[in-house]
Amino acid sequence: MPLIIKDEYPEKLFREDGKRLDGRELNELRPIKMEVGVIKSADGSAYLEWGNNKVFAAVYGPREVHPHHLAKPDRGILRVFYRMATYSVFDRKRPAPGRREKEISMIVSDCLEPILFLELYPGTSFEIFIEVVDADGGTRCASTTVAALALADAGIPMKSLVSAIAVGKIDGKQVVDLSGIEDKAGDADLPIAITWYNEEISLLQFDGEMDLDEMTKFLDIAKDALSKIHQMQLVSLKSKYITLKEGEGEKKR
Amino acid sequence: MENETDKEVIEETQENDGKEGEDFEDFEGEEDSRDVVVPGEVLTEDTKNFLPGRGTIYNSERTKIISLNIGLKQIRKNYINVIPLRGFYTPRPGDKIIALVVDKNPVKYKCDINAKDFGTLKPKNTIKRGKMRSFRGGGGSGYPQDEANIERFEIGDILIVKILSADRLNKPELTTVGKYLGKKNNGFVISIDPPKIPRVIGRDGSMIKMLKNLTKTNIFVTQNGRIWLKGEDIAHERLLVESIQKIATEAHTVGLTDRMQEFIINEKKIRGIE
Repeated sequence: MPLIIKDEYPEKLFREDGKRLDGRELNELRPIKMEVGVIKSADGSAYLEWGNNKVFAAVYGPREVHPHHLAKPDRGILRVFYRMATYSVFDRKRPAPGRREKEISMIVSDCLEPILFLELYPGTSFEIFIEVVDADGGTRCASTTVAALALADAGIPMKSLVSAIAVGKIDGKQVVDLSGIEDKAGDADLPIAITWYNEEISLLQFDGEMDLDEMTKFLDIAKDALSKIHQMQLVSLKSKYITLKEGEGEKKR
Repeated sequence: MENETDKEVIEETQENDGKEGEDFEDFEGEEDSRDVVVPGEVLTEDTKNFLPGRGTIYNSERTKIISLNIGLKQIRKNYINVIPLRGFYTPRPGDKIIALVVDKNPVKYKCDINAKDFGTLKPKNTIKRGKMRSFRGGGGSGYPQDEANIERFEIGDILIVKILSADRLNKPELTTVGKYLGKKNNGFVISIDPPKIPRVIGRDGSMIKMLKNLTKTNIFVTQNGRIWLKGEDIAHERLLVESIQKIATEAHTVGLTDRMQEFIINEKKIRGIE
């Protein structure tokens, strides 16, 4: 007889001192750690820890398209495979890709396509494999962020990086970076991705209730958070080379 | 015989250097231009005095020049370039590269050239020139009578080939007819990231000459990231492989040739080889 645990959410999503359940302020991000070049056999790879989320991304390409009928004669294609490990969530996740995985693969792909020069590589494909080994809310945003890092690490020409974050409303207050419990029990949820090339919104999904004024406020607070994440992306990409450079300098002296 | 081949290979690498001199100079920019930049980073907002060069574009309003690659920023006259640190090999006509035969049939050999497409090597491009008059005449049987001039390869052979034609749409066509081209029967091949190849060659071939003299090894460096080498004994070969891997990881640092020379001399003392 399997153990059945019902989903029970707390009545209040704020503590008595006004902070969130995990002790964050309203517009505070969860701790983020990024690393580039973690998978040796891939052309480019990245690893991201975003709160309790742990995501790997690997990039291969340009290479031949399999199955071959997907190839386009005038441009390359970008394929994204988002998968969750069976142990990444509380109940066992069935390993077969379901509706949710296909959706997230599609939105990550659509979100990254505008920054690549796919027309330069006709008949080929770039493939991004995203593996979520631990999930706690906001994996689609984490996946987009880490996929952009892996593409840059692979040396594929791209106009800019892409960053993503979820903002939302819990207990009537606007907060940044929803965790898993806030996502499920909150009032509204709004994942946003931005391409820094021309600062255009590349992904905007919405679930819940809010009015138009709130929406514009959300976009403003999201942009502040996104620029923080962008800075972290830049630092993690450069640190791969700069740490080595400084280390060598010391040796030389 | 051994000495002769030595000379050949040295000449060949020098020839290679001449061709890649431009690329290599790019890499060896001034000391102050060694900034690591990432995609989307603004290189300058002064669009009146600067133009986007290699690896850079204007933004949509043409008010900034931004980088496309992860690489090193470099200013040449009024052009701003970004020399990539990572990337893949794009075949260009005239490149001499190392290919691996992965498939064969009566019409063509399929070769892995470390690019997005496999290269095709047709048997007519393996026939030695000058001995095939009947073929070049256009008439006759169309194939030379002397079967000995046709080289045959097997799956798994390592070939040094030249690219005859390559573009975005078609598979690159290869040839083994030419100086230093053909099958390699000895030595072994290692691979590194293709953008780091100019660093292994060095300015005017300085790095490769140094490696060759200190380790007494034949090297053939090709643009698709593959390096063929053959040494006197395994100890020298191993030292050379480690040196090349060290060059690849430190490709973006300054004063690499001197540091490598020091490294090899030290390692030779530690390992007790000559």
